[in-house]
This record gives sequence, structure tokens and C-alpha cells, in this order.
Amino acid sequence: MTELGIVDIREIIRTIKSVHNYDFSNYALTSLKQRLERLMSINTIGSTDSLIKKISNEPAFIDTILFELAVPSTEMFRDPSLWRWLREVYFPEVTEKNIGKFKIWLPVCVSGGELYSLAILLNEMGLSDKVQIIATYTSDKIVEILKSGCYDLKKVDVSHENYKRGNGCKELSAYYKTDKNCIVRETSLIANVEFRKLNINFDLAPQNIKLILFRNSLIYYNPTQQEKILRMLYGSLSASGYLVLGIRERISGISTSREFEIVNEVESVYRKRMLN
Amino acid sequence: MNYKAVIIGGSAGSFQVVTRILNSLPKAFPLPVLLCLHRLKHVRSGFVEALSLKSNIPVEEPYDKELLKPGKAYLAPANYHMYVELANRIALSTEDTVNHSRPSIDLSFMTAANAYREKLIGIILSGANKDGTFGLKKVHDNGGVAIVQDPNECEVKTMTQSALQLTKVDFVYTTDQIISFLQKLK
Repeated sequence: MTELGIVDIREIIRTIKSVHNYDFSNYALTSLKQRLERLMSINTIGSTDSLIKKISNEPAFIDTILFELAVPSTEMFRDPSLWRWLREVYFPEVTEKNIGKFKIWLPVCVSGGELYSLAILLNEMGLSDKVQIIATYTSDKIVEILKSGCYDLKKVDVSHENYKRGNGCKELSAYYKTDKNCIVRETSLIANVEFRKLNINFDLAPQNIKLILFRNSLIYYNPTQQEKILRMLYGSLSASGYLVLGIRERISGISTSREFEIVNEVESVYRKRMLN
Repeated sequence: MNYKAVIIGGSAGSFQVVTRILNSLPKAFPLPVLLCLHRLKHVRSGFVEALSLKSNIPVEEPYDKELLKPGKAYLAPANYHMYVELANRIALSTEDTVNHSRPSIDLSFMTAANAYREKLIGIILSGANKDGTFGLKKVHDNGGVAIVQDPNECEVKTMTQSALQLTKVDFVYTTDQIISFLQKLK
């Protein structure tokens, strides 16, 4: 595998920016380096120069880049205690208030680990009709995979375990069929999901969202961009809306930490604070 | 002082060794200590507490982009890879497993080697697979100090032997020797 230096990475970022106006300069460098090296290895691109030529000469290749730079979920129902909290605390509380139909947003869908987990949970709680899920994604290939239901076979065992630990009502296998190299999840689960393509800079984010599930995505940005994204998510949330981050992600920026208050320390759940 | 960080990787049979090392470091140890130890993915709590019990320096599971400070140990959290980002920050990642491991010792060592170059001390301890082999090579190739626990002393030799096969390391040390090497860093 070709190892990229910082100079190579900067050059690649510059090219993508000038050809496609996508700005990766605020991505966390170590993981961006790995994703780029992986992209080159999978697409048998042997050098930085050939990658740069490909970016400049093949406009359609940008979708492959956006696809390969997005990191898929590790498994379904990751951190079962969060899913238990959603099932046993959050949703009962929200529905008790009888607020009518409300919106949940998943800003960065890649392999649908979170999307299908959420859809299963809502289905089991009889809430599918009360919730509008908005799933945003960055690459056309991603949405194709999301809609196909396909999921990595080697993530299935741990997903089963998670589902059980998260107090799922059935067996996870009730929601998919096994194919050759993947499982195919029941696509009727996501029939009412609104899919939207989102620019990597989060332009035109949806509004009036009750709950944002944004776990383990902030880690791929540098602190400057993390602040920007959090401020944008703040703007998307409805009054007292909730934001769920990954368990090792924290809101620590000076301005953003005033904008959110933590509701569940262990699961990294925040509530939008109303500023006077 | 020529070094900027110590990174330790281990798996089966490494817990006691890490505990002894942490128990022997001076309270004002001059470097951050990164610990990448294989652990159960779904067990989030308990490990850092167990390591803290006898440690002379604070042991923490870092949050993403946390700044590394001297005299503290950073344990790779369950189900995350732990990288060293430039500017002395931790970066976490949920990328695919490497050698069936997340955290992957190889990834932690390689990113630390890129960040600290010759100013890194990398130590591979007892373990039952080959994770860490490429990482330690990278530490060595970048001019850092590569140390392997003496396989004769390891509860499980696979990890150390594999590292020794690929890399001409600087030192093969028993736990006591590792401790006295670290204690001399001022």
C-alpha cells in the first residue's frame, strides 16, 4: 500500500477543492490519510500523481471518493445501553407529551447501521407512523446501498448480541435475509424514510429536528470543523431537541458547550439549551 | 529529554505487566503513556478502573481530540481505534477492525510513529496474535526506540515473537528491565 505524506494529502485536498469544490481540509488528518490510502489500494491507484490525474480527468470519480472517505458503521445497535435508553426512557417520554409527528435526523448515513437499528426500534415500539426519519448521505453509491438493505456479513454476529443486550423484542434475524456476502435487511423498514443528499459541508441542513443521531462522525473532523458542525446541528434542532454523540465524543468548544447541556453523561446525549 | 511519548501494546497476558509498569512509574513521569490493549468490544467500563487501582499516574480513556499530557496514561477505549493526530492530540476512529482488533495496536503505533518519529518509545508485551508487529516496525523505521518484552517471560509469546521476527528491535527486556528503562527517563 502506498503511504501518503502530509504534502501528498494537502495536494489531494487542494485538487478535490479546485475541481469539485468539496473541502476536506478540516478533516482529521490521520483518518483521512488512512481512508485515502485505502481508496488508492482498492482502486489500484499507485501514486499521488495518478490519483490527482484521476480526480481532474474523471468527474464521476468524485462519487467514489465521497463513498470511500465515509466510514461505515461498525455494527448495528452499537452501544446497546444507548438503545435501551432510547427504548425505555427517551421515546416513552417524548410520546407521552403527545407532540404529534416529529423528526429524527441521521446526518451521516454510510452503511445504515444506525438507520436500520432506529427503524427496527421504532417499528417495535409502534412509532413508525409518528416519526419522520431524515437520512442524509454524501455519495450516490451510499444511498444505493442504504436502499438495497445490504450490510456486511461479518458485522452480523456482534449486531445480534447488541440487539439482545439492547432489549430487542424479537430476534434480529427476523429483519433480514442472508445472501452470499451480505445480509439483506428488510427494506420495508425504511419505506418512509426521507433520503437527502447532503454536501460534506452540511449546507442546507434540515430544520425543526427533535432528535439527531450523530454518533462517531465528529471524530473524523478537526476541532475547528467540529465546532462549526455542532453549531449547525444546534440550528437544526427544535427547542430542547436532543443530540446523541458517540460515547467518546464530547462537546467541549467554548461557544458550543454553552449551547448544549448534557442529559446522559454515559451515553453522550445532549439537549439544546435555549439561550436568552 | 529526547522523547515525547511512550506507547505500549499488549493482549493476552499483558494486564499484569502493564499494572506493574504503571505501579512503578514516578508520579511526575515526564511523558504521556499510550496504552493500546486488546479488550472486549462491548465491555465499556471496568478496565480503566482496574488499571487505575495501582497506577502512580492517572489512567484515562481519552475523548476524541483530547490533548496528550505528560504524566498521564491514555487507554484506548473499547471498540475504537486510538490514533495520535498531529499537534499532540488523540484522534479516535471506528474504522474496520485490523487483525480482528479494534483498538488495533498496529494503527496506534503507526500513527504515533508518524507523529513523534524518533521521539517515540514503543513497547510490545505478551499477546496471543500478531497485532503490533507492523506498528513496532514503523516505530523502529522512523527512528524511535523499539522494545519487546522477553518472550521467555510472556504468558503468551505469539505477539512478541512475531514482532521480533519482523523487526531488529532495540531491546528485548523483562518487565523489570522495561520498568528501570522507563524510570531513567527524566
